[in-house]
Amino acid sequence: MAHQHRDASILERTRLTLDGAHKRIVVVGAVLAVAGLGASWVLGQGEGDGMRHFWFAYLLNFMFLLSLSLGALWFVPLQHLTRSEWSVVIRRIAEIVSGTIPALGLLSIPLLLNLDHVYPWTDAAHMEHSPLLAHKAVFLSPKWFIVRVAVYFTIWTALATLFRRWSLKQDESGDVAYTLRSEKLAGAALIIYGLTQTLAGMDFMMSLDPVWFSTMFGVYWFAGIVVSFFSLMLLLTLGLQRSGRLEGLVTKEHYNDYGRAMFAFVFFWAYIAFSQWMLIWYANIPEETMWFLKRQENGWSTVGYILIFCHWLIPFAGLMSRFTKRRVPLMAFWAVWILVMHWIDLFWLIMPELSPGGVPLRPVDVTLLIGMSGVFIVALGLLAGNRLLIARRDPRLVDSLNFENY
Amino acid sequence: MGILLTKEIDNTVHDPTRPHELITGGQTFTSVTDHICGIVERPGAPKAWWISIGITASLAAVMFAMIAYLIFTGVGVWGLNNPVGWGWAIVNFVFWVGIGHAGTLISAILFLLRQKWRTSINRFAEAMTIFAVICAGIFPGIHVGRVWVVWWLFPLPNYQAMWPNFRSPLLWDVFAVGTYATVSLLFWYTGMVPDLATLRDRATSKVRKIAYGFFALGWRGSNRHWHRYEKAYLLLAGLATPLVLSVHSVVSFDFATAQVPGWHTTIFPPYFVAGAIFSGFAMVMTCLIPARRVFNLQNFITLYHLETMAKIILATGTMVGYAYATEFFIAWYGGNPAEQFAFVNRAFGPYAWAYWTMVSCNVISPQFFWFKKIRTNPWSLLVITIFVNIGMWFERFVITVTSLSRDFLPSSWGYYQPTIVDILTFVGSFGLFFTLVLLFVRFLPMIAMAEVKTVMPQQHWENKTARPVGDYHGTNPE
Repeated sequence: MAHQHRDASILERTRLTLDGAHKRIVVVGAVLAVAGLGASWVLGQGEGDGMRHFWFAYLLNFMFLLSLSLGALWFVPLQHLTRSEWSVVIRRIAEIVSGTIPALGLLSIPLLLNLDHVYPWTDAAHMEHSPLLAHKAVFLSPKWFIVRVAVYFTIWTALATLFRRWSLKQDESGDVAYTLRSEKLAGAALIIYGLTQTLAGMDFMMSLDPVWFSTMFGVYWFAGIVVSFFSLMLLLTLGLQRSGRLEGLVTKEHYNDYGRAMFAFVFFWAYIAFSQWMLIWYANIPEETMWFLKRQENGWSTVGYILIFCHWLIPFAGLMSRFTKRRVPLMAFWAVWILVMHWIDLFWLIMPELSPGGVPLRPVDVTLLIGMSGVFIVALGLLAGNRLLIARRDPRLVDSLNFENY
Repeated sequence: MGILLTKEIDNTVHDPTRPHELITGGQTFTSVTDHICGIVERPGAPKAWWISIGITASLAAVMFAMIAYLIFTGVGVWGLNNPVGWGWAIVNFVFWVGIGHAGTLISAILFLLRQKWRTSINRFAEAMTIFAVICAGIFPGIHVGRVWVVWWLFPLPNYQAMWPNFRSPLLWDVFAVGTYATVSLLFWYTGMVPDLATLRDRATSKVRKIAYGFFALGWRGSNRHWHRYEKAYLLLAGLATPLVLSVHSVVSFDFATAQVPGWHTTIFPPYFVAGAIFSGFAMVMTCLIPARRVFNLQNFITLYHLETMAKIILATGTMVGYAYATEFFIAWYGGNPAEQFAFVNRAFGPYAWAYWTMVSCNVISPQFFWFKKIRTNPWSLLVITIFVNIGMWFERFVITVTSLSRDFLPSSWGYYQPTIVDILTFVGSFGLFFTLVLLFVRFLPMIAMAEVKTVMPQQHWENKTARPVGDYHGTNPE
């Protein structure tokens, strides 16, 4: 490809902030939130199960949005740790997404107040009387659960805020010291991220069946986090560019890299999912297999097959070619596809514990997604504000502008 | 001509506004070719090489003698007992396969991730991969007892209409390791073709001309050749990437599909892969640090390369630590008394010495790489990487032996000890490995010349300041 060196002057030729559009975003998000959550409350009551379905669906959609946010919290330090060049032009978008963590902390509060609708371990008598559960009755008690969740969100908020603040400060001064500081913190941040993300996954989702355990669980959720995060990034970047921002700064080379990451982690997800399933199937130990058995009976196997084909084989084939990865509209299609699949993946992880007897897809599952996404959108709008959407004075900006996939 | 310095040039100073200099000492394309080819073209190997290969080949001979003794006598010459029916053979197999992981990671995954520094080390690491897989392949082969029917491992139609058990992970191993060896060899060889052609063109004797010429496949460096070469390389990288994960995942299935406490845990596949990359990088460092000194390669394999490898060791070592921690946590969380016992027994049972050796070498020793001083000093790197490989050998020992020696029936508990045959066979496998390494550095270009030239400043003609005096070859000063 003919290569023309691009310097920072091309930043002058496009819009670099939301230019007041953030107000509209916040309003749209707020409307969605109020309408969605309100409708969900009514629909939840209509289920007539004492809001059990509502809170399961709440957990499901909470985990979906948390996945996106945690993906950003993983991505930003990783870019600093590897001193990445390609991602500089889009790193600010990820920083904004990671900033939604406190909003998710807020969204967790209603759930924490209604743990007994969802988690069987809230029943202390049940825990004490099972030989497989008694020893972890304290660990899985509402008090310690809430303490742990508070710790996770405090840590995540601190990390997200630090990286984002340093990056914003660099916009003003252009001081390379902020880059160095971020790089220094990145290693420790990723270790902390890995531990807290694993434990949070086990707490929120694995403990739905307090007997069941799998050492792979944290990695499984991680795979879903990464693949859905890159899909969201692609859509956000595209949205900004379609509305006349960051034009010419993010090129199809960067989209190509999103695509590569999506392709790689679709495969990684399948690798982890298969390993976890195969090892448990093969050893056939009752307290492990019962979890999968539940997901292979009463219509749940259909969801499993949907995951095998639509979370792995079809996007794997679809994303393989460079042709696809360099055509942004096609990639937008796959990004939406993968986000839907990640939602179904979480549905498959969470909902069988509500209804082992059949697949309980209800309107409230979707209205809650709309309502809680509304909150997420409000947070995105507030975080983006009228600030720069690109780390304008990052020392590697020019490398990122000129980045090419050979 | 480039300046050949034997003292270290510190190119590890970090400045986000400028990329690191990957090839130091003001090299030109000619000086790179001259230096790398010079090692191979030198008439008569240095005395040190002869002494080294004398030692390593003798060790290899010891190994083959031990194998012969084993085959004539039977596996009773090993320390196997009941209940430990799987001793050093499987430990050594997993150890060597793990070592073989760095090569493909460097050549495939780091290639796809555009890590330019890989060009200085990929050839060596890929060669090491192949030699390590050869060493690994020996152990399951001789472990089967009746070696003369080892071909039954393969699903070949035969007159007895007998098939291997397709549900056995040991058979999957045959496929996984077989595929890995094949693709690694192809990758290594494909990448070497342009360099073999260079050696052919420079050859002064008929024998060398024919030998290198034969393997250079008529490479003329035409545009079309390069076009196809790049395409083939990218495809091989894509194909090899899942193999980096699959081989050690399948090896981990050997253990994890069983119900033995301490073996059956779902995190094994990625945990084994991380451990393999960890040990593979450590072995690459252990070999490269002396090699760069002996062959004056400090300008090609610079301190920055060593530092970066140290960081990968730190990262993968930390992942291994994460897996240890998760295993312990779930052993408690799961509430299965047999599982809990297995882990307590590991840490405080009769093999506690092995367990703590493993933890100190694998989890603690790489933590020193948080300090830049340590990860940019070849001596400390050499020491720590050796510790890492000791630790990784012990990891496999701990997994295999502690779990087997304490099975579900306390009446059948036992203590496993290797015999001298076990020990000599393992030591001998190092002999074989290093013999192959020594032959490689003597007869093949140990740095990918064609690839290194693509990351030199001369390649980036738009960058005038980085361009050294004269043209690409240093013969025509401006």
